[in-house]
Amino acid sequence: MEFDFSPIVDNWRFLANGLGITLALSAVAAVTSILFGLVITLFRLYGPRWLRPFLVFYIDTMRSIPVLVVLVWIYFAFPLLAGVTFPPFWAALVGLTLHIAAYAAEVIRAGIESVRPGQTRAGLALGMSRAQILRKIILPQATIRMLPAFGSVLTIAIKDTAIATVIAVPEIMHQTEIVAGQSYRPIEVFTVAMIAYFLILFPVTRGVDRLYHRLAHLGRS
Amino acid sequence: MNLDWNVIWTYRGALLEGAGMTVLLTVLTMLMALPGGILLALMRLSNYRVLRGISLAFVELFRNLPLILIIYWAFYVMPMALHVQMSAFTTALVALVLNISAYNAETFRAGINSIRKGQMEAALAIGMSRRQAMFKVVIPQAARRILPVFASTWVSLFKDTSLVSVIAVSELAYTSMQIRAQTFRVLEMLTAMAVIYWMMGYPQAKLVDWIHRKYGVKE
Repeated sequence: MEFDFSPIVDNWRFLANGLGITLALSAVAAVTSILFGLVITLFRLYGPRWLRPFLVFYIDTMRSIPVLVVLVWIYFAFPLLAGVTFPPFWAALVGLTLHIAAYAAEVIRAGIESVRPGQTRAGLALGMSRAQILRKIILPQATIRMLPAFGSVLTIAIKDTAIATVIAVPEIMHQTEIVAGQSYRPIEVFTVAMIAYFLILFPVTRGVDRLYHRLAHLGRS
Repeated sequence: MNLDWNVIWTYRGALLEGAGMTVLLTVLTMLMALPGGILLALMRLSNYRVLRGISLAFVELFRNLPLILIIYWAFYVMPMALHVQMSAFTTALVALVLNISAYNAETFRAGINSIRKGQMEAALAIGMSRRQAMFKVVIPQAARRILPVFASTWVSLFKDTSLVSVIAVSELAYTSMQIRAQTFRVLEMLTAMAVIYWMMGYPQAKLVDWIHRKYGVKE
């Protein structure tokens, strides 16, 4: 069998753009997911009691439906309901954030709950306010423990952006499909995409592992 | 905007079949990925460097690729590279099994490694063979620790089967989107798809939480 990598060389700019969009979308989605997850968790733990069942329901719902379904619904169905259309990139960002934030919220809750309640009581005994305790005692310790898990959120975001191809976000998966289809060289094009994804994801997962070993002892209390 | 929710009832047969296909894919994949994961984990723990290397490379490769890319790759590249013709269903199954086996292998390896070495040594010291020590001491304890992670993988797999819709396997996502294309009932069909996934996935997610509470390792 002969290999011909010229479609990749000829379309490198097109593919590189896709790679840029993948990286941008996954980085932004990871950050917005963590922020949204933090908001959900703070309301769940410290907000009004009546809000809690709704937040838990939201988290469990997002955990039980596929991200593909969320993306397709946001992009195709939501505009019919709301009368506004999003460009694919923004629909993908919203869909990924809604979905991944549920995971981030679980991570953050586990982090916050891992700080023993005795520390909160000690803070209260010293006359600190709830907000002070959260800011000065709980979050600094919880954040260190959550860092490796945030790394996992980033890997999830990178993998899930590939699914945004179904709503035609011009990220690397979508560009790969286009080049493979036009050049009739799927073997070469998909294999190169595979290598590209591996080269992005492998250092991130390795970094997460190392971070975990590096920080595990700092999080002990 | 006029909505016609009857379309869901009209196509109930197709939707049910799609949901059945989703369940079938999940079950079949897990049935194959279970021995696959055990095999990879045993290879990883063996004394032969070559076996360890192969297992490590396999696991790291498939854990570090988006599943949708593996599906495309299995669909477009595998038949040409290996000169085999496969149906879309088989292709989907192969892609899912490759992916989930890699995850299972890591779960099993971590589970077995989590049992302290001293236990294996103690078992050997009281005269058990390695095999006996493995099956009577290590694996029964590891199984309890593996169960929660395994349950999470199960739910991920259930959701990930939706990705094989890109190669036209008629599971729930593909079926719903086909009906949407035929009837132009976009909002109704996509909402129905989400609700059916929810009805199947929500109890599973809750069950996983329960398993985590019951069997999860407390630090």
